[in-house]
Amino acid sequence: MNDSATMIGVAPAPPAGDDSAPVKIDIKGLDFFYGRHKALQDVNLAIREGSVTAIIGPSGCGKSTLLRTINRIFEIYPDQRADGEIVIDGRNVLERGYSLSTLRQRVGMVFQKPTPFASSIRANVGFALGHYERLSRSEADDRIEDALRQAALWDEVKDKLGASALSLSGGQQQRLCIARTIAVRPEIVLLDEPTSALDPISTAKIEELVHELRQRFTIVIVTHNMQQAARVSQRTAFFHLGALVEYGDTSEIFTNPRAGRTKDYITGRYG
Amino acid sequence: MNATVLRRRILDWVAFAFASLATAFGLFWLAWILWTTLSQGIAALSPALLTQMTPPPGSDGGLANAFYGSAVMVLLGTVIGAPIGIAAGTYLAEHGRHTRLAATVRFINDILLSAPSIVIGLFVYELVVRTSGHFSGYAGALALAMILIPIVTRTSDEALRLVPNQMREAAFALGLPGWKVTARIIYKAAASGIMTGVLLALARISGETAPLLFTALNNQFWSANPAGPMANVPVVIFQYAMSPYDNWRALAWAGALVLTAFVLTLNLLVRLAARKGSGK
Repeated sequence: MNDSATMIGVAPAPPAGDDSAPVKIDIKGLDFFYGRHKALQDVNLAIREGSVTAIIGPSGCGKSTLLRTINRIFEIYPDQRADGEIVIDGRNVLERGYSLSTLRQRVGMVFQKPTPFASSIRANVGFALGHYERLSRSEADDRIEDALRQAALWDEVKDKLGASALSLSGGQQQRLCIARTIAVRPEIVLLDEPTSALDPISTAKIEELVHELRQRFTIVIVTHNMQQAARVSQRTAFFHLGALVEYGDTSEIFTNPRAGRTKDYITGRYG
Repeated sequence: MNATVLRRRILDWVAFAFASLATAFGLFWLAWILWTTLSQGIAALSPALLTQMTPPPGSDGGLANAFYGSAVMVLLGTVIGAPIGIAAGTYLAEHGRHTRLAATVRFINDILLSAPSIVIGLFVYELVVRTSGHFSGYAGALALAMILIPIVTRTSDEALRLVPNQMREAAFALGLPGWKVTARIIYKAAASGIMTGVLLALARISGETAPLLFTALNNQFWSANPAGPMANVPVVIFQYAMSPYDNWRALAWAGALVLTAFVLTLNLLVRLAARKGSGK
């Protein structure tokens, strides 16, 4: 066996053994267009519940695009379009009639750069709560505390919930964004290169957090950092030029890739 | 030193000299204007300025009615114009961002920005003064609002477009509807920029003379009711500065000084607010 894992210097995460886990997101025949440019081509991908699925590939391969179709965030730009099906719990969420509000409550997203809103820490986390549920002040406070604890940020901010979110460090801001996303209790969390703007220590914290969150959410993470994909995910999908090249257990992909392109990429021959 | 380096040095020096000269030229006139206003204006300052009405020729007086009228019309103009301008800017930056209509509106707004204020004065004269049959403070406020709207539209549009798209995406990704994203997140992020625009526009209209000449006219007496002709500082300055009476000209200088000081202070406050807004 050509041991790529030693080449990239990390031991891959243990096999998930979750092939029996139900499929949470079933992507079928997905094409995506930026105006006339086709960015995704006939993508078929079944993402399993309660696991971390990493999406890797060189710049411009469509990995972020794929993530952006799952919660339909691309729709705020008029010239972007998705064809095909993304089935979550039996319903195609790309259908016109599927409520965006419902979809985005179920599918949360955290972006590349931390995006705190210009208000207090408490307001940031509580922002969307009022939109989905009628909560009393104390219930909302409980939910905010709960979300901040899950995002491993509570101890650092519990004494200054009223302070501006912009006063936090970059890593804290990103964990705040994670707290804000999980406060509305989604089922799926999309992470779009969540650590690419962060220092190594903050990155390690986020990765630990991803491990924790896997217990409660289905996580899809886009990363250009292969060590990270190997560390945090159970399954990995490799994209190249808008197409899914290979998809399988992370340990398989990193130790014994089937496709030549995958092997070339993970061993750093291009990317 | 080789020839290329020498040539670059000389070019650099020449460019620097020209730029400095141009700056000095501009600053020279500005300093002169400020100095004249200051020296002539201070001599004419007195408590009577705030307590007495504009005098008839030959007697003493102040500018109380003009200050009051200006304050009322400028505030009224801002209250009418700022919400319209902010709403239009919101349309341009948020809802219509990618549409051809927005591009057209933005272009026309830029033309309005540089429309001569006297034309706006005449427009409101035709629209309000002729139909109502008399000059009024309301007509003046409307004319000022029309000057303010394109400025606020432009500055709000720009302030909103400075908000990174990532913040919009993050807000939409939480499932919030568009109006909530704009009202509760984007406005907050752009607040200091929008406020700056409104205050700068307010400073701009407080010195406008031409649009008031045809609308509010002027009033020699205390004119608390904007339904009638209203005294105001710029038109009083215009009338008194051209007059042959020494005390009138002194009042005009005093009015000019107060107006200049007001605009300057407002600009400084805007700077401070903007710095505070960006530095947190």
